[in-house]
Amino acid sequence: MPSKDMIGRVLSTGSATITAEHVAAFADALGDRNPRYRGPGAVAPPTYPIAFMIEAMSGGMETFLELGLNFMTLVHGEQEFEYTRLLKVGETLSLVGRIGDIYEKTGSSGTLDFVTMETEAKDEAGEVVFYSRNVLISRRA
Amino acid sequence: MAALEARNVKVGQELPSLVKGPITKDELKAYGAASGDPNPIHIDEEFAKNAGYPGVFAHGMLSMGYLGEFLVEAGGAPEAVRKFRARFAKLTWPGDVLTCKGIVTAVREEGGARLVDCDIWTENQAGERKITGSATLTLR
Repeated sequence: MPSKDMIGRVLSTGSATITAEHVAAFADALGDRNPRYRGPGAVAPPTYPIAFMIEAMSGGMETFLELGLNFMTLVHGEQEFEYTRLLKVGETLSLVGRIGDIYEKTGSSGTLDFVTMETEAKDEAGEVVFYSRNVLISRRA
Repeated sequence: MAALEARNVKVGQELPSLVKGPITKDELKAYGAASGDPNPIHIDEEFAKNAGYPGVFAHGMLSMGYLGEFLVEAGGAPEAVRKFRARFAKLTWPGDVLTCKGIVTAVREEGGARLVDCDIWTENQAGERKITGSATLTLR
């Protein structure tokens, strides 16, 4: 089970460069035909950060294992984004992910562990471009 | 239906709905590849069954992506989406047709812009709500 001592700990850092090809492929996979997501001056659709956050943050695997979540039952419970501006093709973002909260709930089906991850993305000028908060849930084995 | 308009948006107003699907297993594969989500539970039938599910099910983020398209249309441009939250309450299955819906819960002013808070959700062909959430749109 996750230890509350890990709240506030930096889970992982990473960076991601936004390419026109990836943004267009992501919009295609959503069946979203908005022309703003295509071409050299494209911007990214609202949920696009998820497409680079998983890979960019995978360096945090050891910390993640240390959390002691049950991977067999791990699900994405909630996702939240707050944007300060649109993401643009060609820019490189730096990401810092922290463990925001750890808590548990016990019900009829057993004990569920909740871990909140908070990620902040900054552009090359050091300005925050978005915040992401996601809640992972796993049933204790 | 047209996008919300800053000059006449009202609490209780419905956002123009967006229908997506029926969702296919090929779409789940394509979304998994494009989003970099390595979880086989969305693409491998055997894996999903071994994990105790009747079969593969859709990524929560696929449905949230549909809600993103819906919010951009409601707000009139990608710039409109300022905050966006979703809770993945129930699973979405291949064959489901999802309708993205929303209702305005508050209208406020901030720095010369009109901000609109909404409750949003997806529901399937049986009217079952799958993901629920909220968003803030900036209308200009």
